[in-house]
Amino acid sequence: MGFFDKLFSGKSKETELGAPAAGEAVPIREVSDPTFGEEILGKGVAIRPTGNRIFSPCDATVDLMFDTGHAVSLKGDDGSEILIHVGLETVALKGKYFKVFAKTDEHVSKGQLLIEFDREAIAAEGYDTITPMVICNTADYQAVNAYTGKTVAAGDTVLGLVK
Amino acid sequence: MKEVKYVITDPLGIHARPAGLLVKEAAKCACKVTISVGGGAAVDAKRIMGVMRLAVKQGMEITMAFDGPDEDAAADALEAFLKANL
Repeated sequence: MGFFDKLFSGKSKETELGAPAAGEAVPIREVSDPTFGEEILGKGVAIRPTGNRIFSPCDATVDLMFDTGHAVSLKGDDGSEILIHVGLETVALKGKYFKVFAKTDEHVSKGQLLIEFDREAIAAEGYDTITPMVICNTADYQAVNAYTGKTVAAGDTVLGLVK
Repeated sequence: MKEVKYVITDPLGIHARPAGLLVKEAAKCACKVTISVGGGAAVDAKRIMGVMRLAVKQGMEITMAFDGPDEDAAADALEAFLKANL
């Protein structure tokens, strides 16, 4: 479907969010931490990363780069409120194995590097490196569609937001 | 208007999980609920992004304010939540 067909089809257009990391896209319910698996923070998707870098899923402003580098929240230019959490319980690492490449309040483009992490070392310390990406303002949308069950490169569409 | 002050004892502060749980608890209240730290701007306690952005650490004192018909019950519920979780 071409751009104009989409625009005039009368259907609500989806805002697409890219995978924050390369890996396998899986349903958020597969995340063992109930904060994410039970959608306490909102609906979303999870990536089992095969890479070690986190990229911005869309054009956005960094709302908060956690000083530990294990998570980042973004305000998408379209109004979406996105949290990317690298691994589970990784707040306890207090920044070890994480390096940040963007600052709070900085504007970033889709695909821009946000965080680098040592996936092997984090896994070796016993942490699950599954990386949830959730929409904190899920209530503002009619639907948050997850596109899972596939191997993705960073930037491949994994979430569709319908206003 | 009611206020509750609380000093965070959790060594990891208000990170993603407690922020989510706190917002869930605050969302049950009909009244307006806000949080502020050290005289800074108050944020809506029913919105996760705002609560996380406060980046509250162990030892910091937060002020929760409640304004509306159920403010007494809401203040009691959130104070109990803070003591149990943070």
